[in-house]
Amino acid sequence: MVVLAASVINKTGKALVSRQFVDMSRIRIEGLLAAFPKLVGIGKQHTYVETENVRYVYQPMESLYLLLVTNKQSNILEDLETLRLLSKLVPDYCPALDEEGICKVAFELIFAFDEVISLGHKEAVTIAQVKQYLEMESHEERLHQLIMQSKINETKDVMKRKANEIDKSKIDKLRSDKGRMIPMPIRLDNGFNDITSALSGEFGSNSGFGSSLDSDTFSKPKARVSAPAPTKGFGMQLGKTQKAAQFIESLKAEGEVIVEDVQQVIAGPSKSTALVTDPIAVAIEERLVVALKKDGGLENLEVQGTMFLTVQKKEDAYIRVQIETGANKGFQFKTHPSIDKELFSQQNILGLKDPNRPFPTGTPSGVVKWRMQSRQESLVPININCWPSVSGGETFVNIEYESSKTFELQNVLILIPLPALREPPIVNQVDGDWRYDSRKSVLEWSIVLIDNTNRNGSMEFVVPPTDSSSFFPIDVKFSAVRTFCDIKVASVNQTQGGNSLKFGGRTQLVVESYQVA
Amino acid sequence: MEKSCSLLVHFDKGTPALANEIKEALEGNDTARKVDAMKKAVMLLLNGETLPQLFITIVRYVLPSEDHTVQKLLLLYLEIIDKTDSRGKILPEMILICQNLRNNLQHPNEYIRGVTLRFLSRLNEAELIEPLIHAILSNLEHRHAFVRRNAISAVMAIYKLPQGEHLLADAPDLIEKILGTEQDLSARRNAFLMLCNCAQERAVNYLLSHAESVSGWGDLLQMVVLELIRKVCRSNPGEKGKYMKIILSLLNSNSTAVMYECAGTLVSLSSAPTAIRAAANCYCQLLQSQSDNNVKLIVLDRLQELKASHREVMVEMIMDVLRALSSPNLDIRRKTLDIALDLITPRNIDEVVMTLKKEVVKTQSKELEKNGEYRQMLVQAIHSCALKFPEVASQVVHLLMDFLGDSNVASAIDVIIFVREIIETNPKLRESIMARLLDTFYQIQAPRVATCALWVVGEYSLSLPEVEAAISTIKQSLGELPFFRVAEDGEVIDSSFSKTTPQSTRGLASHSAPVVASSKRPAVLPDGTYATQSAAAEIAITAPSVSLASVGAAANLRAILLTGDFFLGAVVAATLTKLVLRFEEVQPSKIAVNKAVAEALLIMVSMLRLGQSSALPQPIDNDSVDRIILCIRILLGSDDVIKSVWLKGCRESFVKMIKDKQQQEIEEKKAKAQILHAQPDDLIDFYHLKSRKGMSQLELEDEVQNDLKRATGEFTKDTDSSRKLNRVLQLTGFSDPVYAEAYVTVHQYDIVLDVTVINRTNETLQNLCLELATMGDLKLVERPQNYTLAPEGRKQIRANIKVSSTETGVIFGNIVYETTSVLDRNVVVLNDIHIDIMDYISPASCADVVFRNMWAEFEWENKVAVNTTIQDVKEFLSHVVASTNMKCLTPSSALEGDSGFLAANLYAKSVFGEDALVNISVEKLPDGKLGGYIRIRSKTQGIALSLGDKITLKQKG
Repeated sequence: MVVLAASVINKTGKALVSRQFVDMSRIRIEGLLAAFPKLVGIGKQHTYVETENVRYVYQPMESLYLLLVTNKQSNILEDLETLRLLSKLVPDYCPALDEEGICKVAFELIFAFDEVISLGHKEAVTIAQVKQYLEMESHEERLHQLIMQSKINETKDVMKRKANEIDKSKIDKLRSDKGRMIPMPIRLDNGFNDITSALSGEFGSNSGFGSSLDSDTFSKPKARVSAPAPTKGFGMQLGKTQKAAQFIESLKAEGEVIVEDVQQVIAGPSKSTALVTDPIAVAIEERLVVALKKDGGLENLEVQGTMFLTVQKKEDAYIRVQIETGANKGFQFKTHPSIDKELFSQQNILGLKDPNRPFPTGTPSGVVKWRMQSRQESLVPININCWPSVSGGETFVNIEYESSKTFELQNVLILIPLPALREPPIVNQVDGDWRYDSRKSVLEWSIVLIDNTNRNGSMEFVVPPTDSSSFFPIDVKFSAVRTFCDIKVASVNQTQGGNSLKFGGRTQLVVESYQVA
Repeated sequence: MEKSCSLLVHFDKGTPALANEIKEALEGNDTARKVDAMKKAVMLLLNGETLPQLFITIVRYVLPSEDHTVQKLLLLYLEIIDKTDSRGKILPEMILICQNLRNNLQHPNEYIRGVTLRFLSRLNEAELIEPLIHAILSNLEHRHAFVRRNAISAVMAIYKLPQGEHLLADAPDLIEKILGTEQDLSARRNAFLMLCNCAQERAVNYLLSHAESVSGWGDLLQMVVLELIRKVCRSNPGEKGKYMKIILSLLNSNSTAVMYECAGTLVSLSSAPTAIRAAANCYCQLLQSQSDNNVKLIVLDRLQELKASHREVMVEMIMDVLRALSSPNLDIRRKTLDIALDLITPRNIDEVVMTLKKEVVKTQSKELEKNGEYRQMLVQAIHSCALKFPEVASQVVHLLMDFLGDSNVASAIDVIIFVREIIETNPKLRESIMARLLDTFYQIQAPRVATCALWVVGEYSLSLPEVEAAISTIKQSLGELPFFRVAEDGEVIDSSFSKTTPQSTRGLASHSAPVVASSKRPAVLPDGTYATQSAAAEIAITAPSVSLASVGAAANLRAILLTGDFFLGAVVAATLTKLVLRFEEVQPSKIAVNKAVAEALLIMVSMLRLGQSSALPQPIDNDSVDRIILCIRILLGSDDVIKSVWLKGCRESFVKMIKDKQQQEIEEKKAKAQILHAQPDDLIDFYHLKSRKGMSQLELEDEVQNDLKRATGEFTKDTDSSRKLNRVLQLTGFSDPVYAEAYVTVHQYDIVLDVTVINRTNETLQNLCLELATMGDLKLVERPQNYTLAPEGRKQIRANIKVSSTETGVIFGNIVYETTSVLDRNVVVLNDIHIDIMDYISPASCADVVFRNMWAEFEWENKVAVNTTIQDVKEFLSHVVASTNMKCLTPSSALEGDSGFLAANLYAKSVFGEDALVNISVEKLPDGKLGGYIRIRSKTQGIALSLGDKITLKQKG
């Protein structure tokens, strides 16, 4: 009762995924799998095949076979059970039951097979259990991470205390013998090195906190070491005065926060990175909706812009923002209801009506919105021309783009719908890269950057004869760092005192919809 | 032993991932990219790349990764990389991964621990495992069952390693303790399995001390218990008694898998009738309760095995087995009938036939799609029952005769053949069968059935009323004479038919259509001859356009005749002749006899007329004309000799045929029985001397082990060394700087070339490489490697080649090397290696009908003209059979006699399940040589071509 292998193969016997549970040579398993399609009878109402040496138990799945290879003494009832379980699992992990789909999730399938069959023996598992095993969500791991975190914090506290003590002793020593000023820092540095090395030693040797846990790890502490390491660096630089030591403390507290933030950022969309790191961040974002006609000409162009203000800390929330704007013909501006409208229209300053109130902190809040609609063709940042022509038994499609000089476009992606094709189209010539998405049957033409060096570009591809209307609507996606509206932030000042504050900014033009139809 | 391969992933060679790209992605911080890169690395490794430079990158950048998927992929990577050098010693850098593995084993995430333990159970390198032992053992007491179960199987795997007992001396102790406390089913199973494999006595002790609770243990564990019992009993047959109780308690398990396993165990342990009965009962229960066709078929296989070894017990079960007929699947029904037919005895025959009859009636009532085939099967089954026990024939023959008019021709033919046999072997039934046959005669639609029925009528109508009834039935079914009317179309049809030119052109024109219609593919006739089907065959032509006398529903023979089947006409004529001759004997009135003769003559003449007229698209064939004219002659004036030939000779030869058939069956049975006889040196069980009743010695368990070995391909048959040496091929000349010879081993799906390369020069050859290429359906598995060969040194190189279909393949190639003195490369071209198709086909047999179906179906035919020096047809046949490794399907009795003419069918199957059909038709020409053709048909071109080449090559003799 041994399952030799669990495999997914196609109708010609090509092994897409196969997991063997006993030792067997590659040529053997490949031979067995290749022989299988020839052994399957047509119109049979049973799903096993026996040969001289092995038994195949299989289940057809669309154009593929899910297959268990067992020895002939194997218990058929158990094998069928296993097969049934696997046949439910496979579509779960692979929504598209074709070769491409299986190849994409090959490794996930191997992991799943491993959970269902161990060393050739069936495991008593349900689908839900298999999924749980594969998710690997461990309560204990989280708990462990929490414990680790608190240990690290604790250790940092210890470090801080030590640093303080050293500071104190340093000051004492400074007081006692002022004559020896020069050698002191060296000795101090040495002392610090001792402490840090002791600390890292503790991390490395795993004796500090690992012993109290039943499950101590090696990789964990090593990875964690990297987090406090920069703060140690600060510690040595700033550890000159009592005040500085306190600053370290607060910084460390913050540093901790930052570390966590960074982790979140990695998980979240990378867009917001710029916003979060600056204490005050201004983001100008424009969304572009363009509808072009197939035969040239602009149907509609609409620009919607928003300025977001993000204030990180409450202390910095009492501010006014000085804005510089250009001529901006045809733009209509609207401010947030709590913004002082007069101040804005007269001095181009964004401030709250009540100067004693702070801006909301932590989240981006929209302060100004503007909108522009136009039919002026010269405004269009990129024009697409598509010329399908039938010649012989094929349709040649020439596409070219022409970009206006005002913008530098990034990550331009032109999506040309194609009729359902079996094979990717033949691309004769292309500026940039292309890719064919057979699932959506879309040809993706991508140009990383359009600037003054390549304002024009073209592509030619060949497909079987097709109606020219099937290449539309063409979708275009891109982004740019310039906006239609000439607007930027000149300075940010505190409401009281008028000190100017540092701010970060980001300007972005994104395409909401850009269609040639 | 070749390297084992634990996973396969399809790798699209179109998008090669570059090692440095992978490296870059691995070094980065992006987890998703890392996962992708790991996948690519694994795929590249599976594809045969070695990527040695990647290992350090992985150790540095992937090992510390926190991501679970990355860790799992890392384990896969570690699983497939080469961990040893060429001499089998562990690579020093591998020790780097130990630390990571230990961390994983102490990871807070239980799943990471689990998968790492699972990986360890696939690891064979004791050096790597040694430092981890402590960590593995600590996982045995982990809180999560997932970790524990994998830890136990890891312990088992490690203990099983060659050095395992040193690594884990106290493992059995530990595991036994765990088994006592463990609650998780899988973990307990693994623990018990470990004890079974590594410390059998402990397992046995545990089992016996818990014998009472086994029935509540859960199916997984119970399966292992059964495995253990089989294993113990194999090595120590005397102890079976202890376990019987356990097995019996498990036989009532809730899990069908356990039941099945139990039955198998019972059979393997004991041959006592009670045990066998229990097992058979269990199988029958499964047969009924399981709806899955696979299960049913396999259970039927088991029952068949039981039947072979314990017929007496199975006889009692026959009715239970027959219940499987309720399944709609034909395969299941066929197997069931096969089993049942071998089990009939005088005691159960009545019951069986009743059941079969019921099933036949069922096929009548419901119209299911496969009913026809099923009915045919049943008819055949009943037929063979009736042959064995003639007394049942009376019960069924009348029922079956209802099916003479069945639209499924095959089953109708079976019925009529059955009737023909019964009427001869059961004289008591003759009268009733005759009456019945004449009643149902009008329903017969198929020409073949009709001819057979006519023969029966002509042969077995003996008494006056019978003969009269028969003659009138035939007349009626022929309908009004003549068969066509001349006047209406104004066509003149007379003996001067050929003179009227427009008529003949018309005749020609109307010929053309049926020529197309009848240009069916040539077929193999039942006697093995190869023929284009003549008028005797059923040609589906609708009633001809000539205005005909109305065809009554009763006039079935007429309908057939009008389709142009003159073979039937000849049969009708012969039957009438026989009947009239007999009529002469039994009818005292001369007037009545003369009337009958006249009527018969009229019918025959009408048929001839019909045949020669243009009313039918195709004229009568000469054979039929001759036959009908012969009948007319006999009726016009016969002597006693001819009479006795017609009335007795026919019958006698039929009787002889039946006797022959029975003889043959008996001989076959005898031959079978002979195989079952014990060998001279077999152990003899003295029933009376046995301590425990019914416990016989059986070595069945060894089969399990062998079975597994065979399945994994480890098992190689011993071939005698003389044959081995025949396969050594010289690849280069003796005077070449490099001498090479290959020894070719052909396995089932692969060819292994063991090439010995000898450096015949006094220089060191560098970068010596054996480059091979293939033609046909062969594929090289590995890419060639470079070697350095010392002066006069030798090297064994092994190359694996995958075979995917039966075809003659050619392997060719060259040896490339460099010498120190010359910079450019030297090339020695190798002799071609031809792979013989004969290694892939083996004799097989199939039913005549199946053979002919395949013959009609297959696309590829290769026709080889006979050209041989052999003078005798039979000698030629045996020569072809011997040289092609095929089986002759034509029975030897059909090949007897010395007619100077021979037709035979040969059949073989390839290891890939492809069929190869061969038909030989040879005759001895006047000049003493043999002439004729050998035709090969197969589904694929490859076989037909290669087999043809082979025959052309070998037939010279």
